[in-house]
Amino acid sequence: MSDYDPLLTVESVSKRYGDERVLNDVSFTMDRGDVTVMMGPSGSGKSTLLRCVNRLTEVDSGEIRLGDHRVTDPGIDVDALRRDVGMVFQDINLFTHLTALKNVTLGLREVRGFSTDDAREAATEQLERVGLGDQLDSYPGELSGGQKQRVGIARALAMEPELLLFDEPTSALDPELVGEVTAVMADLAAGGMTMLVVTHEKGFAREAATDALFLDAGSIAERGPPAQLFENPENERTAEFLDRVSTVSGEP
Amino acid sequence: MSETGATRTTADTGRVVSGSLGRWLTIAGGVLFWGWLLARWLNNWFLPAGVGVPPGESFLDPAAVAPISDSLAFAVEYLPQLADAAWLTVVLTVVSIVLGFVFAVPVSVARVYGTYSSTVSLAFTELIRGTPLLAQLFVLYYALNLSTLFRGLPDDGFLPSAVVYVAIIGFTINSVAYQAEYIRSALLSVDREQLTAARAIGLSQRQGIRHVVLPQALRFAIPGWSNELVYLIKYSSLAAFITVPELFNVARSIAADNFAYTGIFALVAVLYLGLVISASKLMAGVERRVAIPGLGGTASQ
Repeated sequence: MSDYDPLLTVESVSKRYGDERVLNDVSFTMDRGDVTVMMGPSGSGKSTLLRCVNRLTEVDSGEIRLGDHRVTDPGIDVDALRRDVGMVFQDINLFTHLTALKNVTLGLREVRGFSTDDAREAATEQLERVGLGDQLDSYPGELSGGQKQRVGIARALAMEPELLLFDEPTSALDPELVGEVTAVMADLAAGGMTMLVVTHEKGFAREAATDALFLDAGSIAERGPPAQLFENPENERTAEFLDRVSTVSGEP
Repeated sequence: MSETGATRTTADTGRVVSGSLGRWLTIAGGVLFWGWLLARWLNNWFLPAGVGVPPGESFLDPAAVAPISDSLAFAVEYLPQLADAAWLTVVLTVVSIVLGFVFAVPVSVARVYGTYSSTVSLAFTELIRGTPLLAQLFVLYYALNLSTLFRGLPDDGFLPSAVVYVAIIGFTINSVAYQAEYIRSALLSVDREQLTAARAIGLSQRQGIRHVVLPQALRFAIPGWSNELVYLIKYSSLAAFITVPELFNVARSIAADNFAYTGIFALVAVLYLGLVISASKLMAGVERRVAIPGLGGTASQ
């Protein structure tokens, strides 16, 4: 066994939709406890890459491994893989007909086989962890965007995943609600959770991320510690993009 | 200032009074209608011999109300027979809609999420919706002679006779096709990402459909589905043509005897109206009961 045993290995992954190359020979690894942020312009393949990691999208070529799961192997049990990979969506996608508590207990009961009582207890704990202990019986329609996204995070956490994927978790939220979600994410990062995060929140990246990737036209244009990538981007496209993001978010 | 306040109060009170008056009238009408129907059925089939009136005979003496109004006397005389017949109308409708629902859910799920089963489901739906209900009943009754299958069953009193089972099979098959279409369109109106989110936490496609998509879809389906219930109440009259003694059939034979077509069918219309209004009130109640804040009606995200 080699010394280097990453949790997630992405190797030469390519994907095209029709004539359009969405991912082009992407390779990177993540260790346990790593928090990697992925940035890049719209259409650069960030979301597709995330979705390849939990097989919501199939790769055309290349290989992905997560712990013992050979993700890209067609024969694997995708449900077993997805038990170990949590996902938080841009559109949140809470189960609209279920209360906050039941959004979290559904997976516990149906996938992890918890009893009703155990599921309730575990779900309450997760919701308290994201600061929603007082909203257990609220329906998604009764919650603010930030609260909904925190339920979304609790729902993913409850499965005790090895890796959490975040697909622009704050970009559908009103600006004043972004902070409550990034605060929860920063807490998770500090607690040692392995996270792959597509976001343009440079504040979060600077504070919580161990690593930043810049994706451009389906390829990794640049990779490095967030501070370095933001201060001294080597790639021209990176610099240009980060400059525009700063103008929007108002961060220097 | 106090004057405008007073005016507003009066106006509000007026609206409240007329609103609750309408509600009370509906409730009173419902209690009267169902109280009478249940009393008739109880009287015919469940009271010990010698208690109550003989089946088919009215509680009041028609001759006693004749001085008040001839129409009233006519109604009092014939309503008992119609009430008995209404029992079969209710049985046909309720059993067929419930059985139909049980089969319509898998048929619609197969149509939306299946591959081969989708084609089978489509073929079934088109065949059934594309041919007349009456023709379907004739095939079951005359061509397949299905009623022989049910000959041995007890058919005393409130228990239906063999031919009623044939009608129930026909209405159920027909209703599956229509209900499946209502549910299919409801399934399609559930946000696709709901199933993606379910898959992402490790639920299988089947679990995702069962626990996430269907509970939402069935709520969306209620308004259209209520329509099917109302149709079925009235379509159940087609059972008359395969000799089921339901409401329309009994009315037709009474009228053939006394030639009072207008009178009899006016009474029948009132009974159907009572059943239909009850059904739509019931479904509105169900819709309210299962409503979830933010699901349907207003934007869900």
